[in-house]
Amino acid sequence: MSHPSELISAYLDGELHGKELATLTKHLSSCGRCAAELEDMQRVRSAVRSLPVLEVPGGLVPEADPVVVPLRQNRGFLVGAAAAIVAVVIAVAAALAPDPGSVSIDELNSRFGARASLDPAFGPAKIVEPAVFGE
Amino acid sequence: MESIPLTWEEVARVYGRKIYNFAYRLTGNPADANDLVQEVLLRVRRGLANYQPGSFEGWLWRITRNAFLDDVRKKQRRPTAPLPDEVDRWDLASAEGADIEYARLSLGDDIQKALLELPVDFREAVVLCDVVGLSYEEIAAAVAVPIGTVRSRIHRGRKMLRDLLS
Ligand SMILES: [Zn+2]
Repeated sequence: MSHPSELISAYLDGELHGKELATLTKHLSSCGRCAAELEDMQRVRSAVRSLPVLEVPGGLVPEADPVVVPLRQNRGFLVGAAAAIVAVVIAVAAALAPDPGSVSIDELNSRFGARASLDPAFGPAKIVEPAVFGE
Repeated sequence: MESIPLTWEEVARVYGRKIYNFAYRLTGNPADANDLVQEVLLRVRRGLANYQPGSFEGWLWRITRNAFLDDVRKKQRRPTAPLPDEVDRWDLASAEGADIEYARLSLGDDIQKALLELPVDFREAVVLCDVVGLSYEEIAAAVAVPIGTVRSRIHRGRKMLRDLLS
């Protein structure tokens, strides 16, 4: 008798359909060996599924959404200012970084760039001085 | 129509835990899992710019398992991995049974150890199925193999686990 044992896991996972499903179901009703394997696979499957779900260590994934401040009038100014802040943040961060190789500009741009344009704490009035960024 | 996360931060927030658990179960330790998650997020950030609308999860898991595979290849090129260290870690683990947080984490230690004994292809298939919860079709897309291969890897992987755990 040939044993369609490769179908057993797919059967457990609800991934068996049509003719194959019928074949296996019929076979299981008359084959002790495959029925035993089905039980084994069920046990292993629940064991792996019962592994505790681990929480992501802090800091690995960015936290809560920054508050989105709608850009009202002076949109051009705000966007320009945000870009200028990004440039300053990058320049400062790059200058302060102990090992330039460990910090990519791309990384900083992406991390602080989004904050600078969305986070009110990065308000342009506090940081942008006309002497530096005026026309 | 599937909605696509717009920023890598959103991807990280929505999928971070799944990616971390995938990474942890495949590598078996927090340091490697952290590295892998960071690498995946970096690739997501670079890739989002050229992302073509389609199955976002398919795209994400392809990136994730490719990052894992690159990591495995990189480590294989290294001269002998420090295996004794690995053993010490497990010994230490069982000695610290009193610690409640650890006790929670070590629940399933034997299963984790058995997973690490599986050849990479089988470990990956089982973890994507039973830890991440992907369908066979999604696994086939992520791993870029026919669905029949996924089916066989999952079944053989589980049989190996049974033998290791018995
Ligand atoms: Zn049989």
